[in-house]
Amino acid sequence: MGFALHRIDDRLIHGQVLVAWGSRLDPRRIWVVDDAVSASAWEKALFADAAPGIGVQVFTVDEAAAAYAAEATSAGSTFFLVRDLATARRLHNAGVRVRVWNLGGLHYSPGKTKVNDYVYLDDADRADARILLAAGVTLEVQDVPASKGMTLVALEPSVQP
Amino acid sequence: MDPASSTAIVPAVMVMHADLASALLRAAEKVYGPIEGVRVLSNEGLSRMQLEDAIEGEVQGWTRGGLVLTDFWGGSCHTCGAAAMRRHGEIIILTGINLPALLDYLHNRARMNLAELAERLQVKGRESIRVQRATP
Repeated sequence: MGFALHRIDDRLIHGQVLVAWGSRLDPRRIWVVDDAVSASAWEKALFADAAPGIGVQVFTVDEAAAAYAAEATSAGSTFFLVRDLATARRLHNAGVRVRVWNLGGLHYSPGKTKVNDYVYLDDADRADARILLAAGVTLEVQDVPASKGMTLVALEPSVQP
Repeated sequence: MDPASSTAIVPAVMVMHADLASALLRAAEKVYGPIEGVRVLSNEGLSRMQLEDAIEGEVQGWTRGGLVLTDFWGGSCHTCGAAAMRRHGEIIILTGINLPALLDYLHNRARMNLAELAERLQVKGRESIRVQRATP
């Protein structure tokens, strides 16, 4: 079955992922792909313990790229979580071919402008989005399964390559 | 019980989704009466780093620890509270806080120490979830 959800969300594992998407898609594993979390023993332990009943694994971008193909054909479903568009773009450059990324939460910080209530982008984010879109990747904005998903292009035409 | 800790009020901040913390506190006031010294935070619209900073701002003045009361295990309120806990040591996080647990905190925060109170609230919160079925 492989990957059931590829999500870009600066909170990584949190309630919407566990309760909303988790109840809908019933993942057996969660991959957190993040160089910073991977470098922090306590954060790795925190996330490993955050999803009762689900195996959480933390990878660097390079480790995830190396292991991706095998996991994509494995039994059971897996959630693939990254914190930002830059990581998604780095994964693409490393050879990871994701057809659809779910944009679930990129929150405001200085320099970012609003796309909707839970997605804010700056120039670097838009540049990364353009690279992914030009490669044929779909970027779909949707926080939880019960809400209506929309493409990032429809919400933010400026990212159109 | 340590006599010194028995007279200190264990501080608490409630960190929950949307308006739950403020609504729970308001509900508690209907039962308990006016409540002072309990802070509330929402995770709404905040990134992980922003929520960690907000929690940090609430707990940094605690000199003898305190409680971070959150809604559910694995949510951002919990995991971001864990970041504050790591930096401040004497903090204990409780997840799954409900109205009975909050009321029990209010009744006991000035007469129990932090560790005793946390253990008690875990039990009280669990015990408060009960099933009543119609009798035949």
